[in-house]
Amino acid sequence: MIPTRAFRPIHIAVLLSVGCAIAAPAAAPSPAAIVAARQAGFKKIGGAMKVLKDQLASGAPVKATMVAAAQTVAAGAKEQAKLFPAGSGASSGVKNDALPSVWSDRAAFDAAMQKFIVESGKLVTVANGGDAAAIGAQFKATGGTCGACHRQFRAEQ
Amino acid sequence: MASLPPPARRVAWLWDLPVRLFHWLLVGLLGFSWWSGEQHEMDWHRLSGYAIVGLLIFRVYWGFAGGRTARFAQFVKGPRAALDYVRGRYTAAPGHNPVGGWSVLALLATLTVMVGTGLFAVDVDGLESGPLSDYVSFDAGRTAAEVHHLAFNALLALVALHVVAILVYLVRRKNLIGPMIHGRRTLAGEEQAAPLGASWWKAGVGVVIAAAIAWAISKGFRFR
Repeated sequence: MIPTRAFRPIHIAVLLSVGCAIAAPAAAPSPAAIVAARQAGFKKIGGAMKVLKDQLASGAPVKATMVAAAQTVAAGAKEQAKLFPAGSGASSGVKNDALPSVWSDRAAFDAAMQKFIVESGKLVTVANGGDAAAIGAQFKATGGTCGACHRQFRAEQ
Repeated sequence: MASLPPPARRVAWLWDLPVRLFHWLLVGLLGFSWWSGEQHEMDWHRLSGYAIVGLLIFRVYWGFAGGRTARFAQFVKGPRAALDYVRGRYTAAPGHNPVGGWSVLALLATLTVMVGTGLFAVDVDGLESGPLSDYVSFDAGRTAAEVHHLAFNALLALVALHVVAILVYLVRRKNLIGPMIHGRRTLAGEEQAAPLGASWWKAGVGVVIAAAIAWAISKGFRFR
């Protein structure tokens, strides 16, 4: 049986964009497809962060649940870094909150993304350790990289 | 012929102290909630929200247990009374007039939506959230956050209406601001006024109930 987990919106979006790329080898995935995949990916990460937060707040966190959520965040971080090709900002005509500075200040953006990848990687490590206090601290550190990048590179919500 | 000395200005209570404290604390906390929300000072924003939850619970309780002019039974009237008031055919008793009564209800309802959705709201990163957000999904928490934002606009509109109404009365030489500060109104002619009948111990009971419920909500009903 195919696990249903395999079919999340992000996967469908990525498959679609890959499919489009194969069908028309000359054309890159459309900005719309990239933005859709990007937003679905961030939403998945946000959901996983909420799972971690809820687990910590519950007072009786389940380790396996937290490890799975941390892995979702860490895997998502690596995927998201690839989803900001040039021409996928708001100027492409596809409505999204990525500011032009993502591309005009690319080095800073990539550095911010790299911090997210590093901190979310540590989050998986401490989640496997199972110490709630350490997970809480690393949750904040990881969240800090989200917030720092969003303040600089995302339109105010 | 000696003219009569001007009659001494006689006053009576219009708003009891809990009503006035509720009003001005709410003004301050709404401003602070707005500021802390804009600044992403979410710890302060949550604390301010819990305080508003407590104020709202107290005000609803006081609507049944408070002084005469605080009670819903005294100022919540049907649409006919409101229309008559607008047409100048309704002699309102001291306190909220029939239109003002609806304005109070609208403000209380909007504030309830405001804090209610805030309790379940989740930010887009899953980092900051209300104390009850772990009872709902990420998507539901995001929807709550969106309604929280929309309700703020509705609240701003109602506050603007409230302030404009006060200014209109001010231009027509009726000061509504003073009585909300000192609680008294001037009696006209031979008018006699009954006491408001606000009770200290009932106010105390209300404060305890409101504080206890607000505290329990802030803990997300987790008391370990």
